[in-house]
Amino acid sequence: MTINHHPPEDLLADFAAGRLDEADRLVIGVHAAQCPNCQRFIAAIEQLAGAALEQAAPVAMADDAFATIMAAIDEPKTASTPAPTSSQPVPLLDDDLPEMLRRCRFAKSRRVAPGVKMQPIVLPGADKSRAFLLWSAPGTRMLEHSHTGTELTLVLKGSFSHQGGEYRPGDFDFGDGEVDHQPLVGSDMPCLCLVAMSGDLQMHGWLGRLISPFVRL
Amino acid sequence: MEWAELIGRVAAHGDRGAFKLLFEHFAPRVKGFLVKTGMSADAAEEIAQMTLLTVWRKAAQFDPASAGAAAWIFTIARNLRIDSARAAARRAKAAVNAERDETPEVALSPETMMSRSDDVSRVSAAIQQLSDEQSTVIRMSFIEEHPHGEIAERLGIPLGTVKSRIRLAMARLKDLLDD
Ligand SMILES: [Zn+2]
Repeated sequence: MTINHHPPEDLLADFAAGRLDEADRLVIGVHAAQCPNCQRFIAAIEQLAGAALEQAAPVAMADDAFATIMAAIDEPKTASTPAPTSSQPVPLLDDDLPEMLRRCRFAKSRRVAPGVKMQPIVLPGADKSRAFLLWSAPGTRMLEHSHTGTELTLVLKGSFSHQGGEYRPGDFDFGDGEVDHQPLVGSDMPCLCLVAMSGDLQMHGWLGRLISPFVRL
Repeated sequence: MEWAELIGRVAAHGDRGAFKLLFEHFAPRVKGFLVKTGMSADAAEEIAQMTLLTVWRKAAQFDPASAGAAAWIFTIARNLRIDSARAAARRAKAAVNAERDETPEVALSPETMMSRSDDVSRVSAAIQQLSDEQSTVIRMSFIEEHPHGEIAERLGIPLGTVKSRIRLAMARLKDLLDD
């Protein structure tokens, strides 16, 4: 797989530092899992973070901290982590998903517009953003839109294109309030994307204004 | 004594003496690091303890060839901090919305694993090629989470220089690491 579009470096650095909201972290994580370039970048930030940890001014631990840890070590380990469920309670828009997504919980998929379906990912810790799968029929022209927040998109299958170029599996597209784009889905096959979105989507044009109350992404 | 060697001794024979040395060095630094990034002392104490407990439990997973001991311990503390924020968010949601109180466990920790050893050497080589100035601004901005204005004040440079230095440092790092 040749990946031509990567997340901006500051998002990769925030990912490495552990500062991203859960939905954004998921999209960057799924991209990085298939992208050696971004893996190296994240590893470099982690190395710098390790150096910062070495140089951090120590703050004394509680008097009983070491004893508390040793007691926990000697306690028989409780099997607290439940095995990830392999079967999804709801049918998926696509059964062939990357490993990291297969471990997620999904809500029911729903139709958002002609030729467009979405399936939310249940992320209890997500704060400002939400994540979902977006399925579009071949040749779909998405409505021209912009956002009040950010939109992180990772192509899983198929392709789309807009002013920024063509986006194929593994490619990452970043949109923020500045961007006003109208992606066109490739005509040969459906396009499946993983999307993390914060803020509201704003539709343009008379059709967009007409249907936007129904497009609840 | 190398930290990596001590972790190896914990992994190989549950060496408590080696573990005590790791605790004495890293626990107060993890706590100090977390406090510096805005966490309360109590919360930082708890995460620092859990971090060292995880070092003991996962010592066998540490690969000295891929990550330095400090970077590995940083990722453990980072993941624990993410987990604790997630658990808090879940509790808050459950309190607001009683019928959603059955909250599914999302087994999600998108850590990346570099599999090839030439990746590892490229990463170390790239970091060494950054200037001190460049690694300092990356550290202050992304890792220690200082606002740009504060970085400008500490380094005694204009705000615009901080922003461009960060941008250049990130671009250089990316250049060094891209295929
Ligand atoms: Zn990438």
